Formats: sequence, C-alpha cells, structure tokens
Amino acid sequence: MNSPNTKTAIPYNRSRQAREAETMLDHITDDFDDNPAAMDYFYDLFRRAYCQGESLEREGVRVGTTCIHAPEELIYAMGATPVRLCNGSYHYDQIGADFMPAKSCSLVKATLGMLSSENVIPKVGKLDLIVNPTTCDQKKKASAMMVGMGHKVYNLELPPAKESEQARLYWQRSVREFVQQLRQITGKKLTRKNLMAAMARTSRAQAAFRTLHNFRRKAPSLVLGKDVFLVTNAYFFDDIERWTEAVEKLNAELAQRDQDGFCAAQKKAPRILFTGSPPIFPNLKLPLLIEESGGVVVADETCSANRMLYDMTAVDEWLVNDMVDSLANKYLKPCTCPIFTNSDDRLRRLVELAKSFAVDGVVYQAFSGCQVYEMEQKSVAETLNKAGIAMLYIETDYSPDDMGQLTTRIEAFLESLKTRKRNRT
Amino acid sequence: MKYFAGLDIGSTAIKVALVDEEGKIVGVHVSSSGSLFHKNAREALHTLLAQQGVAKDDVRYLIATGYGRKLFKEADDSISEITANAIGAHETGKAFGGVRTIINIGGQDSKAIQIDDTGNVSNFAMNDKCAAGTGRFLDVAARNLDIDLEELGDYHFNGKGAPLTINSTCTVFAESEIIGLLANGHGKEEIIAGIHYSIAKRTVRLAKRVGIEDRVYFDGGPALNKGLVAAIQDELGRELVVPEYPQTTTAFGAAILARNEFFAETS
Repeated sequence: MNSPNTKTAIPYNRSRQAREAETMLDHITDDFDDNPAAMDYFYDLFRRAYCQGESLEREGVRVGTTCIHAPEELIYAMGATPVRLCNGSYHYDQIGADFMPAKSCSLVKATLGMLSSENVIPKVGKLDLIVNPTTCDQKKKASAMMVGMGHKVYNLELPPAKESEQARLYWQRSVREFVQQLRQITGKKLTRKNLMAAMARTSRAQAAFRTLHNFRRKAPSLVLGKDVFLVTNAYFFDDIERWTEAVEKLNAELAQRDQDGFCAAQKKAPRILFTGSPPIFPNLKLPLLIEESGGVVVADETCSANRMLYDMTAVDEWLVNDMVDSLANKYLKPCTCPIFTNSDDRLRRLVELAKSFAVDGVVYQAFSGCQVYEMEQKSVAETLNKAGIAMLYIETDYSPDDMGQLTTRIEAFLESLKTRKRNRT
Repeated sequence: MKYFAGLDIGSTAIKVALVDEEGKIVGVHVSSSGSLFHKNAREALHTLLAQQGVAKDDVRYLIATGYGRKLFKEADDSISEITANAIGAHETGKAFGGVRTIINIGGQDSKAIQIDDTGNVSNFAMNDKCAAGTGRFLDVAARNLDIDLEELGDYHFNGKGAPLTINSTCTVFAESEIIGLLANGHGKEEIIAGIHYSIAKRTVRLAKRVGIEDRVYFDGGPALNKGLVAAIQDELGRELVVPEYPQTTTAFGAAILARNEFFAETS
C-alpha cells in the first residue's frame, strides 16, 4: 500500500533541468574537436553541479547575489561565501513565468523560478542572505517576490547615474550600509586585514581572467568563446581558489598552444565581439550557434564574463572605511551596465574592444523584455557602424524554438563579414 | 557542357535552378517540401535535370540553401538563404537597372535585405519567430475563406468597400478575427484586401528597419500574389521590382555562387 507520504522519487539526472544542462554540455564538448584539456575541469564541474545535482561546498554564511554590483570582496572579507544567482535555465524560466508578466526578461524569470523551487540548481544550500542591487526595474520588483518565497533579501541601492558626485556619494553610503548588514548576518567585523586578504583572493582570480582575456587577441584563435563563457560562468558558484587554479592551468595550456602554432578556429573565421544580455549556462545557445556556424567569439562585453571580472581592485588606502569607499568607486565608475542614464562608457568600451581584438563584427543579444538592452541597441549600432564595424542585433530568450531562424541570421551575418573582408583586401 | 545548380529547400517549397557556364539560367523547378525534405529535394533536382536533358554528372557544383540546406549532404557546399537571395536578386535586378533593397516573403519568415552595388549584404532584418506576415498566414487565410491561394490576387481588386483592418499580428488570432469578420457579413474581397495590407504594413516596417534604397525587389512565393504586391507598393509609396519567377531568385543565387565557386576552385 502506498502511504500518503510516499513521494515519487525521480532520479535527479532525469529531471528536465538536468537534461537541459546535459544537452548543452554535450554540444559544447562533442560538437568541437580539440577542446583544451584544461577545460575538462570546467566540463566536469558543470556536469556535477547541473546534471548530477551535487551540493556545492561553502564556508561560513552563504550570500546570494543577483548582480555584479554586489561587492564580493566585502562578502569574502567577513568569512562568507558569495554565489551569483543569475540563472540561465529554460526550465526555471518557464517556472518563473508565474511571477512576472509574460513579456519580461528570461534571466529574471529563471532566477525567480530557481529560487522558488525546492531543489535549487546548482545546489547552493540555504541562502542566508540575497543581495539584490537595485539595477533594472525587473530586478527591483523581483526583490519582493523573493521575500515572498521566504528569502531574506537586502536591496543594495544603486544610483541611476554614475558620473555625478551625488551618485558617487549615494553609492558609497549604500555600500557602507551593506557592510553593516553583512556584519549583522555574519557576526564578524570588517577590518583592514580581512579586507586586504579578500582583495588578494579576488585579484588573483581577476588576474587569471585577464591573462585568458588577452590570449584571445591572438589570430588565429587559441580558444573558443563557448569555453571562455563556461569558465567565467563557473566563477558564479565555484570555489574561488580552485577556480583560479583551473584558469591558470588553462592559461598555461594556451601559452603552449601559442608556441606550437595551434589554431582553435580557421584562420579566416570571422572574429566576433559578443555584447548585450549575458549568456549564462545552460543558455549558451547564441555563442554556440556563432561558433558552430564558423565564427569565433574572441571578446565579450557582458556581465557574465568580461564586465564581471575585467576591472581589478587596487586599493591603497590606509583606513578600512576609506578602503570601502574606494572599493565602492570601483563597482560604480567603470561599470558599463545599460541601466545607467548615460552609456558613453559602454560605447567607448565596445569600440575599443572591437579595435584591439581585431573584431570583424559584433553580435548584440537582447533578451525579449530586457528593455535597457533593447532600447540601447540602436545607439550602439550607430556608433559601431560609424567606426566601420558591422553589428547583428538579435532579440531572443531562453527557449530553443528560434534556433532555425537564428542559424540563418548568424550564417548570413558571418557570410557578409567574410565577403566584406575579401573585398577590403 | 558544365552546369551548376542551386537548391533552395524552403519550409513550404523546394526550388531548383540550373545555370550554364556563363551563369545564364537554363531552367527552374518548384515543388512542395512535404515532410521528407531530403527525398523531395532529390526528386526535384532529378525532375529538373530530366526536363532539361542534363546528365547528373554534368552538374559540376551544387550549393544548397534554405531551411533544409544542412540535410542535403550531396551538396558541395551550403549557404544561408540571405546571402543566396542577395546574389540572385542582384543578378536578376540588373535587367531592371540594379536593385539595392530586397523584400522576401517566404513560407515561414519574411526578410528585408540591403545590398551594396556588388551584391554583398550590407544589412538585413528578419521577422521574429512567429509566422505573422508570411506565406503561411496567406495559406491559413485562404483556407478560412474557402478559396484557392492563387485566387487571392483577383479578390483583392474586386472589393466594393475599403479594405478591412486585420489587427492581429499572430496567425492564430488573425484566423479567429477573420472568422469574426465573416460572421459579421463582410465580403471576402474586403477581408482579403485587409489581410494583404496587414502583411504589407509589417513587411514595410521590416524594410524600413534595414533602410530602403532604390530599387526595391520583391521575391518569394507570395510575390506571385498581385494583390499583395499592390498593397506593399501602397504602403511603401513606391514601385516594386517583381521578377518573372519570384520563387526561384534564391535558388538562382545559389546556382550563380556554385558556378563562381567552381571556377574559383579550378582556376
């Protein structure tokens, strides 16, 4: 007889989200020859975390973040472990649709979907706090919904502009308040010593990223963009020291590849700069489509990769309060998020990246319903075109049903870039 | 004699074009895609070769394009339908004094392509994933109105009143809107004209997104529909260049490319 408490136990790896992740990983590994051996660490990490539902380790208090604006040095300094909650699963996107209007951003919906589920994947365990920087409207409104699900949420107030002095002061106060909040949660005090130690940890990780980033300037390419997106994506939840070591190993392998004259892509493969809404595993469909169609993503300007890790902290203040203030500046001033009123920095950064990475074209992804990226695409296209760089704008979401159309568009774009190049020479 | 073929495996129809060494068109063939893309594509090619009395081995290079391009492994190469369309329209458009903007309506998507004076794609836009404003939409509408697809054009011009407004952008919703209009006693003619204007509006918006430059070339199966051509001309405020065989422009482009690739590889 069935007792009323019997649950139908489905092995985790047969669940929809596990199979979604598995399909994507299979594409990433099997559709390409010569994946770097050092990538095995990351393939395995994602298989364990997403396909097998392995629990993630943690140290101390677990602090979830919903955006790169939450200063992780402060979280590490107080003995807590940050985990970035931004989610890329179509499965959770569909569940999250219960919380948001139909035409809202897949990323926000998927994050809510994940947080509302009993088994959050990756398994981060109990979240002691979620830090939600007040960026776009959808993330602002998601806050109350997360509270409704029983999470403890702290809204880290971000100003809508970043140039003015009042914006800087406003943000500095927000970050100081955040330190107080962390102190309450962790019961620890922020000191010069633990902050310096935390910054050393993140700086080493960022230095490893920057080396990887710079390897991508090489032509022909040493590494494909789909792998780099997986690497930066692992930073969301992996142990920071282990992650750094794995990236350093990858860098060593790339240095060897460089010496051996190895090519990860054809010499004439169009070089693509990827920007807009962030690719987050398992939604790597667009970067993957680009590389399966014969292009190579050599650089990106997204908050799941370059924007998250590029700008390093170098604080040489003597007093811990001054250190916090300058750390706050680092999280505000160089950020190229489209939620800020003025996006000149983002435009400059894109042109600079396109030029310094010898990019042939830019692919701009906007998740349907992500208004800021949708609205900005026109000015970005104009700026790039003025600089002689072609841009393809793609509005999409996490669902796989537009793959056929996207393939056609991407192939046509790559073909036109090739012809352009041929005509130029 | 050497021949070169372009095979456009679309969502609704399979189009084949054959060109000779000079790139002159020898023959074209259109058949339905059905569900067995690969089998039907092979048959379409054989039919055209038999019609033209060309031996299979004389086809030296074949390029596949369209949604099913990857399925046809016998092809020497494949290319996206946007590039093939641009090449075909550029070549065909020469007779009209050259074209710079292409509007293509296919079975399940619509595109606007801007090309430079050498036929290279400089910009393009495609409708998003739904079938609104595509050939499929006309198909569904004709079925609702119980008339043949080919008759749509005649009905367009025979209406007594002004074209009705079809607001729904979704094919499924538009279907119920059409049924509603019929139930209210509206004539088929006005409804059909309304459908044409609704597609035209969407298409012209797409074309404006890529920028309209002279002259505007219109191809794809729906370009056979004179009513739709008239509606797009009205919305666009200028005349369209419609080729004699609008369905095969893309296949022709692929054939031209096949010829060029062959000579580039052998020289």
